[in-house]
Amino acid sequence: MVIKKLLFPTKFQELAFNALECLLDMKKIGLEEIVLAHVIDREEVGFVPYGGYLKEEEIRMREEAQIRFEDWQKALVKRGLRSKIRIEVGNPIPEVLRIADEEGVDLIVAGRKNRSNLEKAHIGSHTLELMRHSSLPVLICKYMVQYERQGERVTQVNEHPFRRPLLATDWSPNSRKALTLAASFKGLAEKILVAHVIEAKICKGCDASEVERLKKESNERLAAYCRELEQQGLAAEAHLYSGPSVPALIDLSREQKATMIIMGTTGKDRFREFWLGSVSHRVAEFSELPVLLVP
Amino acid sequence: MKIGRLAVMVLLVVLCLLAGLAAAAEHQGPAAAHDGAAVTATAGEHGGGHEAAAAGEAKGHGELELGEILPLWSCIPFACMLLSIALFPLFAPVFWHHHFGKVSAFWAATLAIPFLFIFKGVAAHELLHVILADYVPFIILLWALFTVSGGILLRGSLRGTPLVNTVILIIGTLLASWMGTTGAAMLLIRPLLRANDYRKDKAYMVVFFIFLVANAGGSLTPLGDPPLFLGFLHGVPFFWTFHILPPMLLTCGILLAVFFLLDTYHYKKEGVTAPAEEGVKEKLRLDGKHNFIFLAGIVGAVLFSGMVDWGHVNTLGVHRATQDWVRDGILILMGILSLVTTSRKIHEDNDFTWFPIIEVGYLFIGIFITMVPCLLILKAGLKGQLDFLIAAVKDPVHFFWITGLLSSFLDNAPTYLTFFNTALGRFYPGMPESQAVPLLLQHNGLFLEAISAGAVFFGANSYIGNAPNFMVRSIAEEAGTPMPSFFGYIIKYSLLYLVPTFVVVTFVFFL
Repeated sequence: MVIKKLLFPTKFQELAFNALECLLDMKKIGLEEIVLAHVIDREEVGFVPYGGYLKEEEIRMREEAQIRFEDWQKALVKRGLRSKIRIEVGNPIPEVLRIADEEGVDLIVAGRKNRSNLEKAHIGSHTLELMRHSSLPVLICKYMVQYERQGERVTQVNEHPFRRPLLATDWSPNSRKALTLAASFKGLAEKILVAHVIEAKICKGCDASEVERLKKESNERLAAYCRELEQQGLAAEAHLYSGPSVPALIDLSREQKATMIIMGTTGKDRFREFWLGSVSHRVAEFSELPVLLVP
Repeated sequence: MKIGRLAVMVLLVVLCLLAGLAAAAEHQGPAAAHDGAAVTATAGEHGGGHEAAAAGEAKGHGELELGEILPLWSCIPFACMLLSIALFPLFAPVFWHHHFGKVSAFWAATLAIPFLFIFKGVAAHELLHVILADYVPFIILLWALFTVSGGILLRGSLRGTPLVNTVILIIGTLLASWMGTTGAAMLLIRPLLRANDYRKDKAYMVVFFIFLVANAGGSLTPLGDPPLFLGFLHGVPFFWTFHILPPMLLTCGILLAVFFLLDTYHYKKEGVTAPAEEGVKEKLRLDGKHNFIFLAGIVGAVLFSGMVDWGHVNTLGVHRATQDWVRDGILILMGILSLVTTSRKIHEDNDFTWFPIIEVGYLFIGIFITMVPCLLILKAGLKGQLDFLIAAVKDPVHFFWITGLLSSFLDNAPTYLTFFNTALGRFYPGMPESQAVPLLLQHNGLFLEAISAGAVFFGANSYIGNAPNFMVRSIAEEAGTPMPSFFGYIIKYSLLYLVPTFVVVTFVFFL
């Protein structure tokens, strides 16, 4: 699995271009073309109460987006990357998915929202919806994130997300797909951290020998994952953790100075996902790092 | 607009109205000014027996009727609300698009604050009544119809020949009374546009679609068009609206015949033929058909609420029929079931969005609140300050044209209610609505036919006459169909095709 073409949809939020710039290194791992997309939300120009459609407003928005994209394209040309501009009107998420399908991209990049002080989540509802509905890998690119750590407000800039990715696995088929994708990062990643968290509730009620068996089995599987990566010429390091999955993964990523988290999206039933959110979605929501989700 | 500036404007207008209303109440009698609770509200009587009894009791003590003491200018916020809807989309569409909710809240506040301050308990009762008994069921019905019809999608390859286009309009006209003009319009506008992709001139097709599917077609049941549902909420039986069938058939027959001729002329003039069937021709099919079950549920719920009497429930001092609450609950359930059972793909392919219904929700709360004084004055009949209007509007033909002309440029739902109350005030001033409406239907039914037909038919006269008009226009323009301007629509289409049709209808039915 090689990412040759990616879709970069944007609403031109603050630092959107910086987020794009930090992906340009992907040329080293096979990236050839970037599709720059801007979806004008139909609600911005359509259904004016008793007024119809703001055609001139749409034209103005299109022109603005075109000018900005053309400026961005200069940077892409300098890096030897092809690019294409798509500006459409519609419902943002279905439209992004439609463009991705039409363009045949390998990866969709989602931005982060401008977060207020009261919010803990690092992504917006549109990104969450995109994660839920995309059948392609989605990279939630968080270029600059502010978060609280040990009572202090920390500002983090994720400039080189591919340098030290953390591959979080639950041994599911989608985790294997994530492994295959991570294996394509040779030349960009210094080391891949392969991690598994033994869920606290699984260990609950188990005797010491059972826990020991679980640990041994997990370590063996982690080692097998690392071997596969090493066979591809990548340095890999195994980490086994225990506890509630989401906080454990976030702690691990901080301790090991990971630059990105890669996960297969887990196939939880719709009801549970609706109310609780899957582990992968919650990690994407609450981690300060870019998260690459592989469905 | 900054919140601070908005607050200052609200405060200024509120103070002006406050001073004026206080003066008016003082002028009519100290009791009214100093003891708001002593003033009786005529509108409060339409809740049914309990309210009528309470009102009658109060009147027995000789208190003033609220509708008789309210000054004419207490209708200014209502007029301004309607003018905002009419003028902002024309002259400041971008501002309006982003701030219509604030505009609606502004006019609602300018009426509600001084009204509550001066008339206290009675005013609170009136406002609560209009919200609980009119606004809530109104918006629930629109939401349910919008949601359920948004789950139905017509797919397939159609070739927009004159015959096919006319058939689409006929189907839409027939469906409009049962799934609402909004629902029928949303279901068929995109297939109509897709079918005519290859045609050069499409604007007139969309305009006739607005005439028929988004307006005239909805005149047969209270589900069809919001004004008729408001009539239903005020005691007009569900099937009474079938009285409008003859004028509806004549109107739609004329418009369909004209459309067919016009489309045939353009079809031949354009000299274009449908593109060769490229690739696989997609068979016509309806996706989300199960939503017709929920649609039937909506029809059934509305029907049942008009047929049973399960007594009343007191909600915050407002007596509402138990069956009305049950109906509203069923409508919400139908909408939720539709959402849960309809695939995401259908909603996506339908470009389904909540935005239009949210807009209607914001605007109509402003309309319903600001219209309270106007309705009270009209109900007071010749004793109220709109006596000149009641005296001037005498015959069905007057009601048809005045309701119609106002519905052309103001939303037709409040216009209908205004003239519905004008008719009640004219024939049965001061009588509780529960008694007056059956008498109106029995002895002067032609007046209500004229009001209903005027409100529904004339809503097509401009883009702002009825909510689906602007939705259809928006979808057509987004799809690349250049639509006529506001005045272009009226001059090139309404004056040319609609008004002569209404003249014929007048001669046949209302003279």
